[in-house]
Amino acid sequence: MANVKFENVSVSYGKKQVLKNFSLEVNSGEILCLVGPSGCGKTTLVRALLGLSKPDTGRISIGDRVLYDDEKRINVPAEKRNIGIVFQDYAVWPHMTVLENVMYPLRKRKVPKDEIKSRATKALEMVHMVEYANHLPSQLSGGQQQRVAIARAIVVDSDVLVMDEPITNLDAKLREEMLIEIRMLQKRLGATILYITHDQQSALQLCDKLAIMQKDGSLCQYGTDDQIILNPANRFTFEFIGNSNFIPVIEQAGKVYLDCGDKFLYEGETPSGVSLNGKDLAVRLNDVVFDNSSNIKAKVTSRIFLGNEYDYFLTIGNKEIRVEQAMLDAKEHGVVNEGDTVGIKFLNPHFYEREEV
Amino acid sequence: MGNKDYAILDGKKAISVDKLITLISFILLLIIVVIPIFMIVFNTFFSQTGNTWKFELSMFIRQMTDTKNLAAMWNTIVIAFFATIFGTIMGVFYAWLLGRSDIPAKGLMRALFNIPYMFPPFLGAMAWDMLLNSRSGYLNRFLMQTFNLSKMPFEINSVWGIIFVEVSYFFPFVFMQVVSSLERMDPTLEECARIAGASQGTVIRKITLPLMKPAISAGALLILTSSLAHFGVPSILGYAKRIYTLPTRIYAIIYNAGGNFQGIREGAALSVMLVIVVSLALVLQNIILSSGSYDIIKGKSMRPTLIKLRGAKIPLFILSIFTLILIVVVPLVMIVLMSFLKAYGLPLSVSNFTFEQYERVLFRGGGTVDAIKNSLFVSVTAGIVCMFLGTLIAYVVQKIKPKGKGALEVLSMLPYAIPGTVLSIGVILAWSGGIFGINLYNTIWIILVAYLARYLSFSMKTSSAALLQVNNSLEEAARACGASHSESLSDITLPLIRPAMVSGFFLIFLPAMREVTTSILLYGPYTRTLGVQIYSLREAGMIPQAAALATVTIGLIVVLNTIVNQITKDRKGV
Repeated sequence: MANVKFENVSVSYGKKQVLKNFSLEVNSGEILCLVGPSGCGKTTLVRALLGLSKPDTGRISIGDRVLYDDEKRINVPAEKRNIGIVFQDYAVWPHMTVLENVMYPLRKRKVPKDEIKSRATKALEMVHMVEYANHLPSQLSGGQQQRVAIARAIVVDSDVLVMDEPITNLDAKLREEMLIEIRMLQKRLGATILYITHDQQSALQLCDKLAIMQKDGSLCQYGTDDQIILNPANRFTFEFIGNSNFIPVIEQAGKVYLDCGDKFLYEGETPSGVSLNGKDLAVRLNDVVFDNSSNIKAKVTSRIFLGNEYDYFLTIGNKEIRVEQAMLDAKEHGVVNEGDTVGIKFLNPHFYEREEV
Repeated sequence: MGNKDYAILDGKKAISVDKLITLISFILLLIIVVIPIFMIVFNTFFSQTGNTWKFELSMFIRQMTDTKNLAAMWNTIVIAFFATIFGTIMGVFYAWLLGRSDIPAKGLMRALFNIPYMFPPFLGAMAWDMLLNSRSGYLNRFLMQTFNLSKMPFEINSVWGIIFVEVSYFFPFVFMQVVSSLERMDPTLEECARIAGASQGTVIRKITLPLMKPAISAGALLILTSSLAHFGVPSILGYAKRIYTLPTRIYAIIYNAGGNFQGIREGAALSVMLVIVVSLALVLQNIILSSGSYDIIKGKSMRPTLIKLRGAKIPLFILSIFTLILIVVVPLVMIVLMSFLKAYGLPLSVSNFTFEQYERVLFRGGGTVDAIKNSLFVSVTAGIVCMFLGTLIAYVVQKIKPKGKGALEVLSMLPYAIPGTVLSIGVILAWSGGIFGINLYNTIWIILVAYLARYLSFSMKTSSAALLQVNNSLEEAARACGASHSESLSDITLPLIRPAMVSGFFLIFLPAMREVTTSILLYGPYTRTLGVQIYSLREAGMIPQAAALATVTIGLIVVLNTIVNQITKDRKGV
């Protein structure tokens, strides 16, 4: 069992508290993507797990192995934690060849000499870098250096791998490829992976479980990707995980109106038992559909063809919203044109407290 | 993983590597830097009667108002002022000429213009004294005979003579700064001005020069502080006519005191005065030249458009050659010729030439061989110790960043701004029985201690710059791979900054080999350094012997410099 467990972990730098009573569990053999905006404390969490910074309180464990426990005064030093790490800037040592880089962790763990080379070569095979074994990192591209970093992280068969923004510095195409490779690698190794990113798109592609962190360093939602996409816990998660529209609503005499200069009666689904007065209706771009039977009328201000979808800007009263129409839908129901006035309906609406911008 | 990991209780854990390194750095700086400086200030303002120390301002005031000291202060200021002005103008002019115009033989001239930088100025002063002193200077006599003059045309033993020699050795500070800055300047900045309709002259005045201002002022600052603290040139040229500057006056007071403690105290008071002058000069320069730093200078080098000199090309080329001959070739040739002469004053003809001086200097005792050994020993030792110590402090400042890292940085840089003469007095006061009864006076160790303080900042700077390039994650990755903190230092960080450490060593070793300012106050009967030996031979009137040893020294410096250049050229950057 190699489940990574953070229990009530608090970390502060000087007077600034970054994490406060943070708890999270990464299930054994799963990829957990920890997503959050820059500066929310993701890297601090990684450093606490690796033993590079010392939490003030709490408990960190892998399986039944305690790494940090402030009550029992346990703090396993970084070099004994046996966690593979891939940093955002690769951190491949520039004065060692690719092979030497990958052999280093084995040397430090006193693996027998004859075994070291074969294991390092095997790790390089996994990331398709064998033919570069004798190159210096300066002779490699960013993507290749990242593969070396991954090989170095997996070579000791740690049951836990941490990847801190491993693909952020790569270009878009390479990012796609690396994500697929990380996924396949995980299948082969069966390792537990904690994957840190601020990019929700790659997180959705990769994860078994998703954990969303807020700016203040607290965990705001944990679950599978579809759970989180379909039932965002709050406005932050909803906004962070995808593109969306927010339309102010008011409630008058038991009826709900969109409040954008003009008022439009809203007849779609509403949660029961809560007042919607002064809240925002939140809806994904592709959950806005054209339906002329609706009494909510919008004017089409622009239409852009993006290859696999149409992108529209509409105005409802004084409010501008964006709409995405998939090609299939466009084929079946036809497109709308700039200048048209159309009726619209909202699928899967959510209602959140209004945020002052 | 076994239970042994559980046993690490952070409360009882032994002191961490980081804390240990930080502590060591503070202690060493305390010993090397703080104590000598403290001793100067303390001895200036406190006097001992019996076993009690009491505050006493009168000695300091007496020194401050002494007419000889005031005259020395005035000379120091005048010399530094004009040396800075002329040195800066000369440096900028030749930097522009070699950096941006189409003057011929640039590469060769640039190499030659850098020679004064590695050539010890006091040897230059010696050469000019042989040529232009008003009693028997060779060039003076030649001019007098040729043009039937009634008296010697030049007097090098004067304030202007000192200024002339200092300018010729200090202008490379500005020259080198400005040349490298010109090379890294984005040429489009100038091209834009031309396109906008500015003439070539306007571009130089309104674009190029203002952009060079940070480089110019940095170089000028170096000239100013070097000149204020400089000992060699004014001591060689000034003594004959009793022209003193503060550093030579301090030396005279200490020398005349002959180990008398009151004399050393007076020297300390004068040192405080010198430090005040240097600090005031720094403040003044800051006010005059305060300007924002420009980021328009790019890291990568580009090929700027060269300016055609047209008709002025040949005259300017001749002027450059003439300057080079005057400041590089003439003194060098004079020293070499003098070293072959049977006696000072004889005509420079082949019949008067002999190898005897070399034989005397190198093979007939007289302490010269010892002096070479001493210089090699202190220079190598100071280089190695500073290399490690500077790296240690740089690591604390750049990576550990403890509380008080600012203080650490200032302390290690402080001796850089303190004149060598002053530092020597501090070292004498601290390590001749003053503290814990440790007496290093008259031993080679006191010179070593002074060198450590003087050169520590050199290696600290190069190591700091290198450490900034080593990202923290490199060390952290090693930790995660199973390396302990000290293993990550020795496997990752040290190999990565090794080239910088080596160049830090040579930055210390080379100037220490020809050093005279600090060791002249610290040497004992058996601990002369190379610089001191040349200086004393000359003082004793054995000028051809001094010249022979000077020639050997110059040869040594050239050989070592070539080796260093070969090493640093072959090194591949990581």
